[in-house]
Amino acid sequence: MKKGILRTLFFGLFSLLAVGLYAQVSVKGTVKSDAGELLPGVSIVVKGTNTGVITDIDGNFSISAPNAQSTLVFSFVGMKTQELPLNGQTSLNVILETSTIGVDEVVVTALGISREKKSLGYSVGEVQGEELTRVAQENVLNSMAGKVAGVQISQTGATGSSVSMVIRGASSLTSDNQPLFVVDGVPMKNTLNNVTNIGSGNLADYGNAISDLSAENIESVSVLKGPSAAALYGSRAGNGVVLITTKSGKKSKGLGVSITSNTVIESPYKFLDKHTRFANGQRPFTQDNRPNNGLDYYVVPVGDSYWVGPEMDKGMLAYQWPYFNENGVPEATPIVSHPDNWKEFFQTGVTSTNGFSLSNSNEKVNYRLSYENMMNQGIIPNSDLHKNTISLNSEFKITKNVVFSSSLNFATSGADNRPATAERGANPLQALYDINPHIDIEDLKNYWEPGKEGIQQNSPYTLEFNSDGTYSKVDRINNPYFLAYEVNNSFRRDRVYGNAKLDINFTPELSLMLRYNHDQFNEKRETKIAPSYTGDTKGVYGLVNMYTIEQNADFLLAYKKTINEFNINASAGGNYMYSYADNNTAQTKNGGSGLIVPGVYTLGNIAPSNLVYSSGSSQKAIYSLYALASLGWKDAIYLDVTARNDWSSTLPAENRSYFYTSASLSMLLNNMIDMGSNISLAKIRGGWAMVGNDTDPYKLMAVMGNAGAWGNETRLTTSGTMLLPDLKPEIQTSWEIGGDLNMFNDRLRFEGTYYESENENQILNIGLPPSSGYVSKQINAGLISSKGVELSVGGTPITNKDWNWDVNFVYTKNRTKIEELAEGFTYIDLWTDAKGGAVTRVGDEIGQIVDAQMVRVDDPTSPYHGWPIIDDEGWDDSEGWQTALNNGTPNVIGNFNPDFTIGFQTGLSYKKWTLNASIDWRVGGQFVSQTYRYGESDLHTNRWMERTVKLNNMSGAEMAQYLKDHADQYLLPGGEFYVVVGGPTADMGGLEHTEDGITLNDGVFMPGVEGYYDDNGKFVMVAEHLGDEGTPLIRYQDFYGWSYTQTATFDADFIKLRELSLSYQLPSMKAIGIQNASIAIYSRNIVLWTKAGIGIDPETAFQASSGVQKSGIQFKQGIERYNVSPWTIPVGFKLNFNF
Amino acid sequence: MKTLSKIFLVFAVIALFSCDEHLTELNVNPNGVDPSTVNPNLMVPTIITAKWQGYSDAAYQGGVAGVMQYVQKSGWGNELNKYAWNSDQDWSGHYNLLRDAQHLYNRSVEEGMEFHQGLALVVRAQTFGMIADVWGDAPYSKALNALNGGQEDLFPPFDTQEAIYKGIIEELKKANTLLSKPAGDYKEISASADVLYGGNPAKWRKLANTLMLRYYMRLSVKLPAYAKAGIEEIMSKPNEYPIFSSNDDDAAMSFVGSSNADSWYANVTYSGNGGSDFTRIQLCAGFRDVLVDYNDPRLDVWFNPVKVQIKISTEHTENDVVVDGVRYLRPEYLVEKNWVIYNKNTWVADVNAGKTIIDTSEFVGLPIASTTGDGSAWNLNPNPIQGGPNVHNSALDDIYKAAKGSLLKARLISYAETCFILAEAAQRGWSAGGSQKEWYEKGVKASFDTWGVGSSYSAYIAQPGVAYDGSLKQIITQKWIANWTVAWESWADWRRTGFPVLTVGPKGTREAMPLRYEYGGNEISRNKDNYLSAVERLVETPFTATDGKDSSWSKFWLLQ
Repeated sequence: MKKGILRTLFFGLFSLLAVGLYAQVSVKGTVKSDAGELLPGVSIVVKGTNTGVITDIDGNFSISAPNAQSTLVFSFVGMKTQELPLNGQTSLNVILETSTIGVDEVVVTALGISREKKSLGYSVGEVQGEELTRVAQENVLNSMAGKVAGVQISQTGATGSSVSMVIRGASSLTSDNQPLFVVDGVPMKNTLNNVTNIGSGNLADYGNAISDLSAENIESVSVLKGPSAAALYGSRAGNGVVLITTKSGKKSKGLGVSITSNTVIESPYKFLDKHTRFANGQRPFTQDNRPNNGLDYYVVPVGDSYWVGPEMDKGMLAYQWPYFNENGVPEATPIVSHPDNWKEFFQTGVTSTNGFSLSNSNEKVNYRLSYENMMNQGIIPNSDLHKNTISLNSEFKITKNVVFSSSLNFATSGADNRPATAERGANPLQALYDINPHIDIEDLKNYWEPGKEGIQQNSPYTLEFNSDGTYSKVDRINNPYFLAYEVNNSFRRDRVYGNAKLDINFTPELSLMLRYNHDQFNEKRETKIAPSYTGDTKGVYGLVNMYTIEQNADFLLAYKKTINEFNINASAGGNYMYSYADNNTAQTKNGGSGLIVPGVYTLGNIAPSNLVYSSGSSQKAIYSLYALASLGWKDAIYLDVTARNDWSSTLPAENRSYFYTSASLSMLLNNMIDMGSNISLAKIRGGWAMVGNDTDPYKLMAVMGNAGAWGNETRLTTSGTMLLPDLKPEIQTSWEIGGDLNMFNDRLRFEGTYYESENENQILNIGLPPSSGYVSKQINAGLISSKGVELSVGGTPITNKDWNWDVNFVYTKNRTKIEELAEGFTYIDLWTDAKGGAVTRVGDEIGQIVDAQMVRVDDPTSPYHGWPIIDDEGWDDSEGWQTALNNGTPNVIGNFNPDFTIGFQTGLSYKKWTLNASIDWRVGGQFVSQTYRYGESDLHTNRWMERTVKLNNMSGAEMAQYLKDHADQYLLPGGEFYVVVGGPTADMGGLEHTEDGITLNDGVFMPGVEGYYDDNGKFVMVAEHLGDEGTPLIRYQDFYGWSYTQTATFDADFIKLRELSLSYQLPSMKAIGIQNASIAIYSRNIVLWTKAGIGIDPETAFQASSGVQKSGIQFKQGIERYNVSPWTIPVGFKLNFNF
Repeated sequence: MKTLSKIFLVFAVIALFSCDEHLTELNVNPNGVDPSTVNPNLMVPTIITAKWQGYSDAAYQGGVAGVMQYVQKSGWGNELNKYAWNSDQDWSGHYNLLRDAQHLYNRSVEEGMEFHQGLALVVRAQTFGMIADVWGDAPYSKALNALNGGQEDLFPPFDTQEAIYKGIIEELKKANTLLSKPAGDYKEISASADVLYGGNPAKWRKLANTLMLRYYMRLSVKLPAYAKAGIEEIMSKPNEYPIFSSNDDDAAMSFVGSSNADSWYANVTYSGNGGSDFTRIQLCAGFRDVLVDYNDPRLDVWFNPVKVQIKISTEHTENDVVVDGVRYLRPEYLVEKNWVIYNKNTWVADVNAGKTIIDTSEFVGLPIASTTGDGSAWNLNPNPIQGGPNVHNSALDDIYKAAKGSLLKARLISYAETCFILAEAAQRGWSAGGSQKEWYEKGVKASFDTWGVGSSYSAYIAQPGVAYDGSLKQIITQKWIANWTVAWESWADWRRTGFPVLTVGPKGTREAMPLRYEYGGNEISRNKDNYLSAVERLVETPFTATDGKDSSWSKFWLLQ
């Protein structure tokens, strides 16, 4: 397609310029590429004049030069520009070199139009196909991480989970902020409606639909970052556009066959920081000092989630799961830790991706057919993912001026089991990490109880001994193997997308493109849960069927002309978009009576009273008309203007139509003034644009919701969200300026962009006081502003015959601020969780995390000013974050956005060897870990044990003095947060403490002061709680800052080795028909360093979640909840052959 | 070229003119019922189930059931065991219910469906009454108006607690009128949709009037003349104001039991957590003491005896040994360990003295605010597990494990409560259609019948302490017992009368029982100015400590 347009363009230019020129010296010749191809359409200009011609279809040209010493300049998109002095010659055979990086780079821009990068007035990020496939990733978006300035990629979890791509930060508060993906002109659905929860606590993430793309098929990716670039894509382009061009057969000379084979093996190496010191229980009892259970030994309470029971590996005997000896009699055994449990659970993950392509071309026809198969076996037992794609790109020249082309793609993705994630319940990782190491995971591998296969899982429980000698099994917890093998979330997605296109050249100046684009998929998701899962003991079955289609019909009429120094391109077109989606669900009720017959997974096996079902559909259409014009002058100044009008079905009739424009300017200073030979490109550019945005269907008037049946009675309920019948489109306005500088024959390259954007009339739901009768109100208000900087610096320090070394740095910084909301509304919450939330007030940067506040002495005249106030029982007090927010002291503890990120890529080649590496560095920002919050409140972590202040070698008075001496650190607001003195045992700093008649060394206290305010607001001290006489002690198990988000908030800084590969180009094997072949070994996504150091990848600190911002599925950024796949070191091998 | 321009123009014109209608049609939501045309019967089960479930869940196992010392929890129970009430008590659930009730009312006015209007008003009045009971001042007259769009509609001012009570009494009077016709005179009653009374207007009418009694009595101390006049008006015109006259009238909703969503709370059939939701709910000593004192047969209906009783004995040589289902402790061992046997009069002093309390009864209850721990290790529990069972403390009776049952009902107000209200009215010297003793005894009898122990009534009522002595204390104490799982009402009675007399331990958030809910963050943050002026009207007590005026220990108008 790209080349089709170019050809049309240059035929036109040729016809125009070939006539009417006067001659002095006539020069003739041919132009070929370095690959030996004859090049039509090459522009040839006599240096210093306006005289120019282009080559004909066979690469021939003929030009009149003023004299025999003139210099000719040959330029062609995708080739290095060459200057040739005639030196008296009248016949020239010119060979143009392919340019990879630099001045003459061609990029695909809006509407699929190829443009020379230098002519663009805005920043376009680019990734070549080879960069995406060097290291295989199962989702192509992951391959873009770190490679384009301004683009942030995050993934919710392990292989196959959702991947989010955000360009230049979030601009909308209510959408998922995902860019529009356009593949060969086909807008692709990348729905994030990818989380289904069937069965209690069984949240499965099925990954994004964009993963249906095969990376091997991609020729190049252009990321249109700002609205300037995206203005022509209209409503959906407000978050940027990712244009993907797939490979075609055009480049093929004769029948070409290519075979690629990838295999990646990954094994986990880093797990959560959980201790293996204490067994389950609330206090570290000993044989002599334990509650009397009427038995000779302690019983380890498996169902007790606390890990502060008896110390392991100290020889203490206890009744502990699985309790029974070979004679079936309960037997006490020593409590021993099993520190390798986590490691043993996981298996080696294997992903293999194999494919081939066939391509061919001749003058009339070219095509490329490709097939790829991906099979993944996850590191969690019984998890998998697979994908098959077939693509056919073809082009037929019907007549000289009419070209028909089409692209057809079939993709089938699926999995037999996507393990539950991001929740507590069916998530095997949560079950694994919550099993205390006193249990040997070996004992869980047979996950059915013998004799009860299919009915009862073999799972740890507490044995309750009755006084009459009988016992019962209580407090069962889930066996992680059972969850892995018997909670199955499968899916299958069949997708067809493609287009059919007709290009007609009426005259050399005028052409018309007519196109129909189609994208549809059916997806079926099925959940099967065996009986005895603790969340749904009778089993679960659920079936979801989804169907989505989007059709686009568009046309583009293009006119181009070169008049003297001026080069004019003008186009006008229109688009009709229609999309439809439906969803049918039938399942057992969560927390219901399960299946009639265990193990039979059909809808018919669900009792009618226990079956829930629903269906829904939505549709939307947009009509658009648009026009663009580009004016070039002397290869030095380019001006682009665009205009578009949309009519969207989602808006009320009076506001349905919205018009917006953009303009951009590019100036090539090096072509305007002589800058010497060291500077090959010096460009400044600027752009301004407006983009309008509509909303989802059915946002104008609420319908009744169904609260589920009560017996046979339907329960309808009104919506708590007030909708706005006269909704207006959102309008995003932005401008950017930037510059490009290439020096020393392109060996040093610099690109920088500064941008600002303002998003007005945001369609957002804003919280109302509940007493108004509504939870939230949809408004059309507010102003959100973003600004940011994108820099990239690249260089080629070494390049010679054998050696080539490239380096590239990409720097991204973005700030988004809420400037205004509606009257009476002072903040917006993006999510609330973990006792705090992501709350941004007007005037603040988006992404702030707020927390409850510790209550401290606020009387400035008190000697205790700033100290925590502790009650007479020893507890601290916390003030709810919402209250704190409103008392004018919002307790901001972090922000989930980075301060900046840096990507670094390098490639080093020596002869046939190439080493590539890509590293990402994130600086700044925080995330909340619900995994740690839950785990630490149950005292599972080393971190918390180490964090307590250990002063038990001191007397009470000494402790008090010590704490006072270190008030800055332990008592005042600027010091450590949530200070606890003591520990679980004497050697861990614990203080002597008696409770329920048992004395152990597990006492702790929080340093602070007890007191009250008198009538004049003066603080009156009742007692100091500093360890001295009268300080109430609390057992270690009870003291965790559950009421504060800050206790589970971590810095998100990290350094990640995104990719590392070493490849070798095999020697030519033409004898056996192999044109070229290469082998490579690689690795990817290795977390090298995190500031938090807790075994959680900060990039996974976001969750797909429904109902955030009260509309649809979005991402909760900056919070993680059991997305705790261990870190792995993958090793991959790649083989590539071309015949 | 010309042809092309024409084609282009035609396309543009077609697009512009034909698209509008097409686009409007596309945006008609096919997925739900239009609220402006909804059949009111489809909302009736919504508001009834939301009202009754929401009301009785907390009254059975929430903080209010803890504070009134019916139950405690052995894990995640600080809200019950220690008054560690979330400082952010959100009332969104109530106002969401009110939005639906309001819509049901509006739609039934449009459709001329008076039964539905009356039903909606009863639910609306009770919900506002509950908001006033729990928080105090609250938006009422200007609440629920957000659709009107004005600033006062979006950010409603708070009405005084007094205005709310008086307002809802008028609404209940209106409901009484709306519901006064024979069933056949109403339009489109769906018996099955009315999951409480099967579409019987007479029962709803009685409920409206009985609730009126409840709210008049709520004002007995603060506005005695108003309360007296109101109750006497009702009792003097039984035809105009029919009230509950037997247990059959009780506003008690049964459960369907097909899944957790329509079943009894914390049942072991459907709720997850391996039954821990159920086992964590345990008997509280305060309730136990009173029930045991009078050999109350209801105790056995509601709770199980301990699995393993503790006995202090010299029978065995070991200090602490379990033999044949009994745990024996030697008396000198108690002394050695600083353990002391539970005594309802001295346990607070014992806790303050650092002693560990041992309860040797057949029915054991955890005393409120008695331990720094979560209560799971109470009474020498040999297997202390957060939320786990305790062989030395009484669990709920097994009937409460089920998803539904003849005794498992969401109870809002009962005939027994009606009798106690009237007993109190008579006790206050108001004309209540009977003597205080008659009503008191009818109340006790009604409760015994409700719980299937009617045959034990005669023996029970004859006992000293139960036999009526003319005191308000006795009426309210029996009302408290009868209002098991209706703890909201017991709390309201205690705040008004100080009865039953409850002992609280020293380990609670404050050493006193809380008086109200703090306002919730959603209201505070989004309606701040109106909130601040309401908070000004609260009066602090010595227990508000560092909370400021918006404290659970501050007094609202009713208690001032």
